[in-house]
Amino acid sequence: MNRAARTAGAGRMHRLGLGMLLLLAMVTGLVVFSAQSASAHILPTTTVVLDVHESEVDASLRIPLDDIEAASGIDLGSGSAAEVAAQEDALRAYILAHFQPTSTSGQAWTVTVDTFGSGSTEELGTGVFGYITAVAHLTPPPGLSERDFELGYTVVVDKEITHIVIVSVRSDWASGALGTTRELGTIRLDTVTGVVSSLEVDLGDGSAWTGFVSMVSLGVDHIRDGVDHQLFLLTLLLPAPLLSIRRRWAGVVTARRSVRRIATITLSFTVGHSITLALGALGLPVPQQAVEALIAVSILVAAVHALRPIFPGREALIAGIFGLVHGMAFSATLTELDLSGGQLALSLLGFNIGIELMQLAVVALVLPPLMLLARTRLYRPLRLGAAGFAGIAAAGWLAARLGLPNPVADVADGLEGASFTVVAVLWLAAVVVVTLHSRAESRARVEPAGSGGAGSPSAPRPVAGGFSRRDSAGLARSSTGERTPQPKAPWLWRAGENVLRRARGAWDPPGLTRRSLTDYDPTWRASHPRLPWASGEVGEDFTRPTERSSTA
Amino acid sequence: MPKTTPFLDTPSLSRRALLGSIPVAALFLAGCSTTAASTATATSTATAIPTAAPAAPAAPAAPGSIAALAQAFQATLSTDQQATLVHEYTLANAELWSNLPQGLLGGSGGMGGAGGAGGGAMPSGAPGGSTIPSGAPAGGMTGGQGTGSAGPRLGLSLGDLSDSQLASFNALLAAVTGSTAGLGYDEIQQHLNADDYLEANGGGSDYGRANFYISFLGAPSDTGMWEFQFGGHHLAVANTYNNATLVGATPAFRGIEPFSAFDGNGRTNQPLAVKAAAFTALLAGLTTDQLATAKLGSVYSDIVLTPGNDWAFPTAHEGLQVSVLSDTQKALVLAAIAGYVNDIADADAATILSKYQGELADTYVAYSGTTALTEQNDYVRIDGPSVWIEYSMQHGIVLAGNHPHSVWRDRTTDYGGTKA
Repeated sequence: MNRAARTAGAGRMHRLGLGMLLLLAMVTGLVVFSAQSASAHILPTTTVVLDVHESEVDASLRIPLDDIEAASGIDLGSGSAAEVAAQEDALRAYILAHFQPTSTSGQAWTVTVDTFGSGSTEELGTGVFGYITAVAHLTPPPGLSERDFELGYTVVVDKEITHIVIVSVRSDWASGALGTTRELGTIRLDTVTGVVSSLEVDLGDGSAWTGFVSMVSLGVDHIRDGVDHQLFLLTLLLPAPLLSIRRRWAGVVTARRSVRRIATITLSFTVGHSITLALGALGLPVPQQAVEALIAVSILVAAVHALRPIFPGREALIAGIFGLVHGMAFSATLTELDLSGGQLALSLLGFNIGIELMQLAVVALVLPPLMLLARTRLYRPLRLGAAGFAGIAAAGWLAARLGLPNPVADVADGLEGASFTVVAVLWLAAVVVVTLHSRAESRARVEPAGSGGAGSPSAPRPVAGGFSRRDSAGLARSSTGERTPQPKAPWLWRAGENVLRRARGAWDPPGLTRRSLTDYDPTWRASHPRLPWASGEVGEDFTRPTERSSTA
Repeated sequence: MPKTTPFLDTPSLSRRALLGSIPVAALFLAGCSTTAASTATATSTATAIPTAAPAAPAAPAAPGSIAALAQAFQATLSTDQQATLVHEYTLANAELWSNLPQGLLGGSGGMGGAGGAGGGAMPSGAPGGSTIPSGAPAGGMTGGQGTGSAGPRLGLSLGDLSDSQLASFNALLAAVTGSTAGLGYDEIQQHLNADDYLEANGGGSDYGRANFYISFLGAPSDTGMWEFQFGGHHLAVANTYNNATLVGATPAFRGIEPFSAFDGNGRTNQPLAVKAAAFTALLAGLTTDQLATAKLGSVYSDIVLTPGNDWAFPTAHEGLQVSVLSDTQKALVLAAIAGYVNDIADADAATILSKYQGELADTYVAYSGTTALTEQNDYVRIDGPSVWIEYSMQHGIVLAGNHPHSVWRDRTTDYGGTKA
């Protein structure tokens, strides 16, 4: 590489450092709230929650026990499951008599009611109250839209006129509404006229495109909020820039090579989970608990591998195999949506695309600082710390998913937002490294070689390799009379210099010569005929002496 | 010689990678920041609580008047306390009362309050209540219209008053709420004891007299409009004065838990006993035929005109018309009405009661559930040309056993007649 480009590179890095700081400010300033919607109702209310499917609407009912008893005259005792089951026919008849949706043109819909249950809860200001649950399936006459109709719901409220029914939509694939419940309105007494209002459900336009886009977004959210999926991939990528030598991580591979590795691992993971996502969504039964436990195992395995290589060179294979497991978990999200036909096919595609996009974004965000830091002494503690953390979290999850709830799993579950922090810290570290490095570079240019001297304790550490070339470049420029940067406040400059020296001591490893590495493991060269430096893409820093001596 | 290695041996790669990843990072963040931005908007709306207090000091009111006592109480307060106490006279502020403890009125309630004060777009609950909300509001918030409340109460907590400030407030409260035994001031003292009882018996810190609030909407004076607001869990006093005259004593909410007698603060308390006894006597005094006419067909699990359901009186009167009753029975109806009207200053109460007495023939009595008025969903209503009183038995919240909610409204003088 030519000198001019290198010098220009240093300046660009300063700007880059600033840019990254801005980015970090954005990342750390990012707080995600979940908007809470709770109006202060004094008495228990009925909730009717709609799930809109292709040509059918499911209405999940939750009716307070006292109120349905008072309105229907059906005695449900204490509202236990058995008592509700015993009165199922009476309840069904009562509900069917008071739940008669019609199309806007007047045709009656078909209604069936099943899945009776009961429970109790407490809402703001209500005290604890019992309720019954049921699901009503509403089907419009053939050829009529399921998106616009009179709900025709008067259960309880026609008799108990102080009662309030809140109607909302939980999922409506074609309008892109999946995860967020939207209130449609209330059914209640108009106190002035004494009439109980009816409610027209108008879901507006829906389209396959809207549904598809929302599935992409769901996929993105799934990875963004899925700490375990992210943790598996990232932990597996942690040692990707490193060489495995004699069952230890040592040295770095070339950048091109680590990019290739990261790409292969990510791709294998994608292929793996795409297969099972599709199979699961199409109906292959998924043993939920076992899958969740296996996901924890996958993170554990990746963590151990990041500590000590246990399957060096086979990361892609492992990623693919565990990808199959993660895909099964992904499929559960789609199964829950209870989709069919064209909606299912589009969902599968969109959801997977969303997952891949977010996965790609995570990798792209983490990869640059990781590869940068892999070339510093910081990386070893970082790798060990991260792997240790992932291992502990995975162990906690594993225990929890095998039926032993524990605080470790709770904490790990609460880390949803923490990936931002992790990314921020990585980038911060990378910014610091880049900034200090380019300052060291310009400092080395400013200072004449003889003045401080390599032996002087106040001088920066002697530089070699790339630095030495840049030194000579700096000197050459100085001798031609080019303006060199002068410190505005000498004391500040000196203070900075001290920080710089200490910091550089931390990341500039006293590297090994190529010879010393081959000396250290004579068989290694023979077993690796395509040495990285043989092709000219040299990575000169390999293991630190301490690592070497500990294995010797 | 050990070779020092530059930490960036392949600068071209890292620069490219770093540069290249910035758009990706931006995309990644854009997805997340949309949520953050919309949340930020919502939060800033929530914090805009209506507090604009009129600063102009009012002229001294006539000695011995309610306004003079209010000014005297105000004078005992620090500047900060006065700023907390006095708020603008608006319907939106006047509607900030509820049966719920203050602690349950935060969150989304605060939003509603802010919206009402900011844009005057408060749903009035008038005929508009019949139209169906066509969907969630743009902000995604479900308003507290109806059973909910617009937001937390304004004003100064009883818990923030010194002994001398409290004494001055009690003098004002006694003058506002009258001297009838078991009603008015006496009932409110028992009411506060009841909430202390709840605090000590499972309710926790959301309950207790420190959660009762005093507020002046407008500066008390002999000229112009102002409202004396005092309330907390199960209690709302709302007296509106215009040019030194009481122009509205409603909406007045009274509920109580525990409903049965209990010991507290050195006495035996049963705050709503007088009201409950008057209703029971009224229903007990009716014949079987009269009761059949008075009985409503629906089930009432609560009062109809709940907090926030303002200016939403039914057009039609239901039940038994008082004109057909005997004088004894009429007296029982009037006694039940007096159970609420006597919650205000004696002279004011006499004026209002004589007005209601004059309208008695066109007043209706209706009930639902049992006439004992002790069971859940037991309900009684007195509905006249002006008077509107509802009393509803509900299940316990903090304690076991049923407890009543009740409201006294007036078809013309709620909020002193302020409708917008």
